[in-house]
Parts: sequence; C-alpha cells; structure tokens
Amino acid sequence: MKKYQTIDLTYSAFFICLMAIGSNITFWIPFLAIPIGGVSVPVSLQTFISILAGIILGKRLAAFSIFGYLLLGIAGVPVFAQMQSGIFVLFGYTGGFLLSFIVTAYLAGLIIEIKKPFTKRSIFLASLSGTLVNYLIGVTYMYIAMNTWMGLEVSYYASWVSMIPFLIKDLGLSLFITFALYSVIQRLSLLQKKHI
Amino acid sequence: MSSIIIGQYVPANSVVHRLDPRAKIVMIFCFVVFVFFANNTLSYAWLTVFAVASALLTQIPLRFIAKGLSPVWFLIIFTFILHLFVTNEGTVLVELFGFQIYSGALIQGVAISLRFFLLILFTSLLTLTTTPIEITDAIETLLNPLKKIKFPVHELALMMSISLRFIPTLMQETEKISKAQASRGVDFRTGPLKDRIQAVVPLLVPLFVSAFKRAEELAMAMEARGYQGGEGRTRLRELVIVKRDWLAMLAFALVIAGLFFFRY
Repeated sequence: MKKYQTIDLTYSAFFICLMAIGSNITFWIPFLAIPIGGVSVPVSLQTFISILAGIILGKRLAAFSIFGYLLLGIAGVPVFAQMQSGIFVLFGYTGGFLLSFIVTAYLAGLIIEIKKPFTKRSIFLASLSGTLVNYLIGVTYMYIAMNTWMGLEVSYYASWVSMIPFLIKDLGLSLFITFALYSVIQRLSLLQKKHI
Repeated sequence: MSSIIIGQYVPANSVVHRLDPRAKIVMIFCFVVFVFFANNTLSYAWLTVFAVASALLTQIPLRFIAKGLSPVWFLIIFTFILHLFVTNEGTVLVELFGFQIYSGALIQGVAISLRFFLLILFTSLLTLTTTPIEITDAIETLLNPLKKIKFPVHELALMMSISLRFIPTLMQETEKISKAQASRGVDFRTGPLKDRIQAVVPLLVPLFVSAFKRAEELAMAMEARGYQGGEGRTRLRELVIVKRDWLAMLAFALVIAGLFFFRY
C-alpha cells in the first residue's frame, strides 16, 4: 500500500471543508431552492462534491477523505446539512445518504480510472452512477431504519416514491455542474496528476 | 455564523468536562447500543433518570442543551404522531376524524420517541462537553489498533485537524466570493431555474481555486518544516486515563447492569 504524501492529506482535508460548505450552500445562496412538483427542495452540493473528490483525488483517497468528513461530523463539528452534527444524524432517516458518499466517491474515482482518457463521457458516467449509488444505498438504509429501530412499517416502494423529487434534483444538479465545470475539472485533474 | 464555527461546545469545569474524551466516547457508544434493550416502563425510567442526571452533572445551562436538541424535536414529534396513526394494537381510545387511536399505539409512540430523546440527549452530551480537537485526538488513539491492518490512523487524524482549522476560513471565503460576484452582477436570487444554478458556477470556481491553492501551500509549508508522517511523532496534548475515568466507567457499567436487572 502506497503511503500518503503530505499533499494528498492537505488536498483531502480541503475536500472535507468543501463538503462542509457544499452541504450548507443555501446558507450563502438562500434562494437556491428548486421547485419540483410544488415542493421546494433545498439544494445541497454534497453528491456533486463527493463525485468531484472521486475524480480529482482518485478512488482510495477520496473515500478516505469522505470517511474523515463523517468522523468530523460525528465529533460534533456542524458539517452535515442544516449545520447538524453528532452520531445520531447517522442513525436518522437520512443517515444512509451520508454513509453512501464514501461509496459514491470511490465509484466515481474508479470509473474515471477505468475510462481513460478523461472525456465528457467518462465524467457523465461517473456522476450518473455516483448519484444513483448514493440513492440506492440511501433509500435502502432509510427503509431499513424505518422498519427496524424507528419501528415504522413503510414499504420499500413508498420510501422510493418519497425520495424521487430529491433524486431528480440531485441527478440534474450533479450532471449540470459537472458539465458546466468540465474544463475546470479537466485541468484540475491534470494538475493533480502532476503532484500526487 | 460565528456561533456555528465554535460548534456545540459549552465551556465549564464539571466532572463530565474533565473526563477523558476516550472514556466518554466508549460510554456513549455503549449507551447507543444498550438503549435498544430497554423494553418496559421500569427500564426506560431507569435510563431516563441516568441520562437526565448526567445532563445535570455537566452544569451546562438547560437552554444550551435544549438548543442542541432543537433540530430534532421535529423528528421526535413526527415519529410520535406517525405511530399514533399507524399502529393498531390494544383497545380503541379515541376516534379522531375517522382515525382510531389505539392504546398500543400510544404506548409504542411514547416508547419510540423516548428512545430517540434519550439517544439524542446522551450523544449530544459528548459534543457539549468536549472540544472537537479533543474528540479528534480521542478518535486517533481509539483507532490505533487499526494500524495493525495498515489503516492510516495518524493521517486520518491529521486530515481532520487540518479541516477543523480551515472550515471557518473557507466559509468566510465563500461569503466573500458570493458578495464579490454579486457586486459584479451575478444574480443568485431571481430568474429561471437554469440561470440560478448557472450562478453557482462563478461561486464554485474561485472557491475551488482558493481551496486547492491553500492545500498546496500548506503541504509545502509542512514539508519545509520537516513533516514526515506518524512514525515517532510526539504530541502536545497527551491523553491520560486517571482514577476518575475508571470510576465513571464503573458507574456506567452498574447502570447497564441495572438496565438488565429491570428489563424483565
């Protein structure tokens, strides 16, 4: 196993900071709430940032960085969405989404590694599968959480239906931003290869 | 903004504050597991007394504790109400707008909400009485055995400390950038959805640039000062377990033993 360089560590530390900001982006852009089907869904950039972490840091370091983000949140730093923190956030309905960011980052990094060279297509695949895996784990976790320790009986189907607006939002957002930032990401990943 | 940066920590000089952070983390993880073993009125009451007593021991004003709980009141009440209407066991107590509320539903609703309340109250005691730096140190020492399987524990702790230091800085930076872009005419508030999302891009690009620049400068500065990983490093703050911590853990073990005694 390759030892991490200092620059790897500082980069992943700053990705933790970016995750913290991305989770609460509506704090700085308060009117960025997307109306879907009459419900106003507040935007968070967590999915996008974890995909970006996968693309820039590579699969292993990105997963490691997101793991650090979760631990920091557990340690009581308000880095989760709505400035929440603490271990109970992971036990709540949406804890699975947080846990799945590790897999999302890893998967995005993996796809970028397999699909060389770096093209729009590989970026599209990375964001698409990253977001889908995010919801697959998140919703399944929500279903399990509700039916076991929350003591509520909700069908798997119903939990999916309730999360569909969010899925559309996150899918659209991460695809849109990765494309809008395509040239930036491309240059960043080149820059990163030079260093790391 | 400044209140979030500090986090939830409330400085005081109570017994709970002075406990070793590792002891606190271990006890809280055990509590999280054992709360699910409570299954009757007596065992719930026992745990509630213990959790409230611990909260009082911290000498933190109640309004701070209530403030920490504020984002989850909704969850607790929501769970309670959902249970009222979903569960149908026991006898019918009242009929409300065509819904029947059963006695079993009331009992289960109270039990589950109480379980949530206990979990959240007790876990928030950790973050109320311990600084994030202390918790990071404690996590590093607690995870130390993982070094055997080549898990980079020191690197993880370092990463967390760095981000702890730079989260406030980057938040200020975000605020500055959003103001700077607004003064150049970027409109975050109005317009069709597409334009509003597009407006995120001029915010993100300078933010990324600034973050990565800082990351590189920091790595350079660390290496210039001879940083070379976890081997043989000494630390500024050493964690020591003293008699007080053993006593606290003993008392906690007795509480858990009591829980199993009351369970049946």
